[in-house]
Amino acid sequence: MNSKLQALVALQDLDLMIREAKDPERATQEEELGFPLNGVEKLERTRERLAKQIDERLLQIYERMSRRFARVIVPVEGRVCLGCFMGLPTSTTRNADSGTLENCENCGRILYRI
Amino acid sequence: MPTASTVERSSETHLELHLRPTLFIPELRNKKKSSVLEEMVAHLAKHQITRQADAVLEVLRQREALGSTAIGKGIAVPHARSTMVAERAVLLARSSKGVEFDAADEGPVHLVFMIVAPPVERDPIYLQMLAQIVKAVRLAPARRRILEAPDFGAIRALIAAQLSDE
Repeated sequence: MNSKLQALVALQDLDLMIREAKDPERATQEEELGFPLNGVEKLERTRERLAKQIDERLLQIYERMSRRFARVIVPVEGRVCLGCFMGLPTSTTRNADSGTLENCENCGRILYRI
Repeated sequence: MPTASTVERSSETHLELHLRPTLFIPELRNKKKSSVLEEMVAHLAKHQITRQADAVLEVLRQREALGSTAIGKGIAVPHARSTMVAERAVLLARSSKGVEFDAADEGPVHLVFMIVAPPVERDPIYLQMLAQIVKAVRLAPARRRILEAPDFGAIRALIAAQLSDE
């Protein structure tokens, strides 16, 4: 996987984990099952370090889009963006395969193939 | 019209539906948390649950940093959502010798249920599966029988029995 995409994926996964850990309802459910969530600050520090490793322009794009979408980086299935479920041109899906960072022409999300 | 088999399947819990013979490690090779996570993620990759084992391993490690998923009494349930997972999966592993997993009771872990899922927010099934695992192993006799079961089929049947036993 492209190293830029790899860093963004790690950031997105971390952001989701932090968001869930800070959601009182969700956190209570996990804690009641016996899973303590006491390391949120640690994860936030890891997030800061990770963000510093990402190209500034790319990070800005990610941050801007993450205010709009819960998931900025989404898979392509067949020739469909699984963020907005719109069809993609062949050239876009070919690039998503090759590891080049590519955006959905409809919603702008960053695409990858699982 | 539903057939007998579909009726039977519809009564299965989400956990039972996710337990698969290929996603079972009868005896873990490793004894430390970090290497067990690696071993288990490699197994997931081998069975096409992910093509990006490193990304999945990283998110599971971060989840452990948030708080240990070893809940005591020899059980650990490492779980995380990863952008690099296409569908929910549960990997069950046993360790007769025990794994150091930073458990709250400081005891070794003998049963590991690893859950990975795509990053879909508000996925109720993910949480239900966590709850079902906790329920299936909360009693000492059930844990012992799972550890001593001869094969995956027997373990699955034991878990189903525990979950239907209200």
